[in-house]
Amino acid sequence: MYLDLHSHSVSSDDSRATVEQYVKWIQVLRKRGNVVDGIVLTEHRKFDFDRDYSQLAAEYGVLILKGSELDTLYGHFLVYGVNQGLTNDLDFSNVRLDSRELMKAARQHGALAIPAHPGRFGIGLVDYMEQGESFEDVHIVERLNGGSRAGENERAEELCSQKGYLGTGGSDAHLASHICACVTDFQATIQNEQDLVQALLSGEFKPVRLEETQNGSV
Amino acid sequence: MTQQNMPYFEDVELGDEIGPLQKVAADDQVVGFCQLWGNPMPNRFTDAAIAAKANLPGPILPGVMSMALMSQLLTQWGGPGALKDLDLVFRQPVPHDQPLNIAATVTDTRQENGENLVECDILMTGAAGERYVGGTALLSLPSKSQ
Repeated sequence: MYLDLHSHSVSSDDSRATVEQYVKWIQVLRKRGNVVDGIVLTEHRKFDFDRDYSQLAAEYGVLILKGSELDTLYGHFLVYGVNQGLTNDLDFSNVRLDSRELMKAARQHGALAIPAHPGRFGIGLVDYMEQGESFEDVHIVERLNGGSRAGENERAEELCSQKGYLGTGGSDAHLASHICACVTDFQATIQNEQDLVQALLSGEFKPVRLEETQNGSV
Repeated sequence: MTQQNMPYFEDVELGDEIGPLQKVAADDQVVGFCQLWGNPMPNRFTDAAIAAKANLPGPILPGVMSMALMSQLLTQWGGPGALKDLDLVFRQPVPHDQPLNIAATVTDTRQENGENLVECDILMTGAAGERYVGGTALLSLPSKSQ
């Protein structure tokens, strides 16, 4: 199944898309022949425990999961499987979180934290690795990011090749028409955030661009 | 379409692309804009040294000038007076003398309080795909039945 693992709704301060606009746009994509099963809302520096999108999900036939995108000392990290224990242990609003502590805490709470857009010039993990930093807990990174500039996804791909990392795909959408520009193709059937974490840990997934989902042709 | 090649509400569908509009904001155009705007010069929009003091890579476009350029795409398409709202997020400084690509996508159409409304995503990008400014716009179009 195809899931967009990186998106922002108006709950993030820099997005102008509502979740309803996203699921409506997914109907446009489906009419065009693209296969899209769901999205993960990864709001900046927060986790929306109180937001329930189940009615929208049922109405439009789109799986809507929740995660977070956190600011750390070594770039942005996407966090899946967020729960109360993790948010009790870490201040999600802290823009200088320790990346290694975040990955460790996520693992202890049954969640998973992975570097977002590692090839981004100036703020991506690749730059920090070139400065001598190492991250033993990183095994998966966001390899395809829909908001990347020319060359940034290529840097992420090179990182994956060099280090043997697995890669995900996400749109990084902040506008309705950008949703699902990149997605992740999973072997498993995913119904909730815990399924997503397990599917990522299984390693049975790959990043794809929207055009590659045409009629499920991947 | 109308005589001026502007769309009726009934002609517009979700996913329709508007543009792109290609622009380059030259140094003298930015100076001219600041003169009209009444912003005292030199400033970070017109002077490299002042821009550097503000940790900018060079003089940048004023936000209202970027808005004006983006509005141009929409008013050329929908006609004078069509644009009701433009809500933008400034993600990166917009440089002078570089190609700017401005494009919009129709994301919703609806009739509300007697108006024929079209909602769009709009984005200004650079040559390498840099997302400088993005947001949404709301336009009101005439109907064939009116």
